[in-house]
Amino acid sequence: MNTQLLPALPAGSRDRKGPGSFRARHRRRLFRTDLLTTAAWASIAAAVALWLADGGTSEFSTLAGAVTALGIVTGLAGMDLVLLMLLLAARIPLIDQTVGHDRALEFHRKLGKPSLYLLLAHGLLIAIGYGMAEGLDPVSEAVSLWVLVPDMWLAFISMALFIAVVVTSLVAVRRRFPYEFWYAVHLLTYAAVATSLPHQFSVGGLFAEGTWQRWYWLAVCIATGAALLHYRVLEPVIATFRHQLTVSRVVQVAPGVVSIEMHGLRLNELAGAGGRFFIWRFLAPGLWWHPHPFSLSAEPLQFDASGRGLLRITVRNLGRGSAQLAGVKPGTKVAVEGPYGIFSTAARSRDRVVMIGAGIGITPLRALLESTPFAPGQATVILRGRSEQELYLGDEILELARNRGATVFHLTGPRSARHTGSWLPDSATDAGHRLADYAPGIADADVYVCGPGAWARNVLEDARAAGVREDQLHYERFDW
Amino acid sequence: MRIRAAVSAALASAGILLAGWQSGIHLEDTRSAAASTSAGTNGATGTTGATGTTGATGSTGATGSSSSGSGSTDTGASDKGSSAAAGTDSGAAAEPTTGAAAKAGGTYAGSVVQTRFGAVQVQITVKAGAITDVEALQLTDDDRKSIQISNRAAPLLRSEVLAAQSADVQTIGGATVTSVAYLNSLQAALDAANL
Repeated sequence: MNTQLLPALPAGSRDRKGPGSFRARHRRRLFRTDLLTTAAWASIAAAVALWLADGGTSEFSTLAGAVTALGIVTGLAGMDLVLLMLLLAARIPLIDQTVGHDRALEFHRKLGKPSLYLLLAHGLLIAIGYGMAEGLDPVSEAVSLWVLVPDMWLAFISMALFIAVVVTSLVAVRRRFPYEFWYAVHLLTYAAVATSLPHQFSVGGLFAEGTWQRWYWLAVCIATGAALLHYRVLEPVIATFRHQLTVSRVVQVAPGVVSIEMHGLRLNELAGAGGRFFIWRFLAPGLWWHPHPFSLSAEPLQFDASGRGLLRITVRNLGRGSAQLAGVKPGTKVAVEGPYGIFSTAARSRDRVVMIGAGIGITPLRALLESTPFAPGQATVILRGRSEQELYLGDEILELARNRGATVFHLTGPRSARHTGSWLPDSATDAGHRLADYAPGIADADVYVCGPGAWARNVLEDARAAGVREDQLHYERFDW
Repeated sequence: MRIRAAVSAALASAGILLAGWQSGIHLEDTRSAAASTSAGTNGATGTTGATGTTGATGSTGATGSSSSGSGSTDTGASDKGSSAAAGTDSGAAAEPTTGAAAKAGGTYAGSVVQTRFGAVQVQITVKAGAITDVEALQLTDDDRKSIQISNRAAPLLRSEVLAAQSADVQTIGGATVTSVAYLNSLQAALDAANL
């Protein structure tokens, strides 16, 4: 159905993508999603199978044996979930490019409580099972395990650390503490995993030396550790040295909003990252320890073939940290990680595209509009702000849209007081306008939404009502 | 979760669990076969006789190990026979002398109990009629896993025995064979010390 449109298209407007290539790409991404889901479940099954293959079911002949056996199984599954959580947070490109950074972290959060429950059950069941076999109550059994069995005291510490990490991550608790406190406690996860490892290999007979189960478990643990070390430590350091970013100037765009321009090397490798975010650290006193997640607000500007050029981010002083950014001095070195996330061309599944942004959420759309392929007339950009002044980079977007053949709407005005479920300005809501009125072809388009949480939820709701399916919706949360 | 993902995840998981279970079943078969044969040899060659410093050997220790072996009746009989040959006269007659020996204190080694994972022998230290220490001279060590199980079970058994002052304690979960052999050897040592 797209082929008949082809002759009318100007050359080069579709980059190197043929018609339907977004659908094929989308199918491949869905396939990878299913593959990763299957692998995750299979890893849990494999953990239990390790125990089954060791003749674990024979333990069920006695009650004490059965309780102990359940304790072992919960421990295996719990540790497997912990490893999955670590992998989900490791920013592995395969996972990041398949489900996206925020969905990977969403899964990570969902696994938090189940894994803690499994580990708690593991400790309790083992204490009860061993205790029954020895004629001891679970408490005395736990004490004798702690005192007498090597490595078990470490396992008790590990359990305490896991509890601390999960409890501080509960939404209700997390809100009470500053981000830095949560982050510091969360780092204890590594200590929790490290202290849990010795008893797995020395106390449990399943992973005794000479068993193949031991090799499997070692391989899984080492692979997870290597992935974390590589993608969370090595890659960022390498990227920082590769790009040699330095702040060249800071420009005020609007009250409280600045664009920070950085020059660096090999920026051609970052082309097409429009919409994806990087984690920036400005290496200045009082700033360097604070990581800032921001998207590029423009495609990298290249001076020559070697990739020397300029990068730009546009930030608003939303938090304590962002406020300081306005005062960044030119010449400041910048450490960079990324790009992460699939709020980008990688998420495209259709030929049509609709971008909807509010406030500072407009800036990643500016870079996406610049780089994502579409034919003239197939893109709609909707910008929302309280006033014309809040449509940051609105002029640049207008110019890009004019060059590339996209339709732009500026929707300004206060939020509707009566219709709290509306994302539109008061006047448009009163006139009965809906999302489909601005973007008629939206049911067959990719919809990119970037803005404050509550507003974005309203947009997504309106899009669903217009017939947009879940896998066409691409939503970047930036209030985290 | 999409249907394709759910189905393939369920199939893959079921397949892995089934494979694990099947190999576990086979392992159990071979293990129980090994157990039954070793029970036979256990009865025949087991309890080579307690070698306590006093030289006295109890008859109860030997019968204890034969019951743990759960072998056929003839091995049990030979077991009793061998221990009877190694043993001394009945306990009542020996009581005064060995009782005095126990009060004097000393170390008493229990019998060597053979298991399918290796030999087990313990030695007790007695002072003023009380067990003050239990030392494992030999523990199941046929393979790495047995060593690991022994390393976990021994300190637990030792503390239980010291608390109970007898071999009348529960076995350690996941280390039943080692525990039973340990306690049998211990009983022989206790008999040797006439406690």
